[in-house]
Amino acid sequence: MWRYLLAVGWILATSVTPALAQAPAVLTVTSPTLKAGETIPRDYTADGRNVSPPLQWSGAPAGTREFAVICDDPDVPMPQPFVHWVIYKIPGTATGLPENIPFDAATPMPAAVAGAVQGTSGFRRPMYRGPAPPPGKPHHYHFKVYAIDAVLDLRPGLTKAELLEAIKGHVIGEGELVAIYERKPAG
Amino acid sequence: MISRRDLLKAAGATVAGAAATSEAAGVVRDDSERRNFNTGEHQPSLPLEALTADEADLLTAIATRLIPADALGPGAVEAGAIAYLDRALAGALAPQRDAYRRGLAALERYARSSRGRPFRELATVDQDSLLIDVETGSATGSGAGFDGSSAAFFAMLKGHIWQGTFGDPFYGGNRGYIGWDLLGYPGVRTVVTADDQRLGAVPTPLRRSAYDGDLFHKATASTAPSRPGSHGDDA
Repeated sequence: MWRYLLAVGWILATSVTPALAQAPAVLTVTSPTLKAGETIPRDYTADGRNVSPPLQWSGAPAGTREFAVICDDPDVPMPQPFVHWVIYKIPGTATGLPENIPFDAATPMPAAVAGAVQGTSGFRRPMYRGPAPPPGKPHHYHFKVYAIDAVLDLRPGLTKAELLEAIKGHVIGEGELVAIYERKPAG
Repeated sequence: MISRRDLLKAAGATVAGAAATSEAAGVVRDDSERRNFNTGEHQPSLPLEALTADEADLLTAIATRLIPADALGPGAVEAGAIAYLDRALAGALAPQRDAYRRGLAALERYARSSRGRPFRELATVDQDSLLIDVETGSATGSGAGFDGSSAAFFAMLKGHIWQGTFGDPFYGGNRGYIGWDLLGYPGVRTVVTADDQRLGAVPTPLRRSAYDGDLFHKATASTAPSRPGSHGDDA
């Protein structure tokens, strides 16, 4: 028995340890206006101005060259989470995203995130579109930040799936902020 | 560089000119309350037949964002898309009149509840953002009271604005062939010369309605029942 456990332990040690060594660092994601586990302010939803919220992050590994951010909602009655935002090629020097990223590609990105491009959301638009859930229950919105170790040649307009495929093997840090939003049934 | 304001002023002049042409043709039947809903000013223009002045103003503001007057040329409003829609709602599109009444009222409520102002008072970037929310259906559950999906209302509205901008002028829109010029469409050509078929040739705009030619007949297109050889233009 002991010999068996030792063998299992050796296998785990030799197979899992390298994977653990490559596990992405944990990024801390915060926001001056979004609070984890709390209701998203109206301005960042379709019930308000529907502008993108400000995000901040820390803890990125030294080799970070770019960041990407995806916002999605897993509480929809669909097989996959509904994607609200895909933005990438955010410079590795950035420590966050300012509020109200332009939704018009002709409008330049803020200087701190110059070069960032937006991908295609579940609304089939290359821009942030905030919560607009069907009434009935609170939905959770995951703002996930990825630290990437390379400057990748990525065209604008990628979907979440395309982006995740493109950055596979290059993610050296991850973190997320989860906030909620609920629409009440029309009275 | 020409400013947007200058473009819109020029567009207003175009609209006034087009209205004068229509008057000469006997289209205008009522001189009372000639509110120019394209500019919000009281100038000679077509009286409304189906829409209220407020609805026409709101539709004008929406159409201005959908196909704006810009460096490419005049837009939907200058092409007379709202006048087209007004007349269509008084005629062939009458069954959709109530959908417009309810949809426009819901859009206005949505502007006030989500952005705090009437649609016409919003900055253009906020107007565009709001229209995207209506188009994508995000406004549906906002409490503004859209019938069904806001996306369905937007699709109907967009389709009619497109018709009023790019349709044959015979139907009352596409004033001055603005829509066809925007697309580079020369109009129906019954003769295509060898020169027209050169690679890179830019067709000369004919500036003629399809019904100005012999191929189609206005009486057939407007009211007469279908008959063999009429190419289905009664529809």
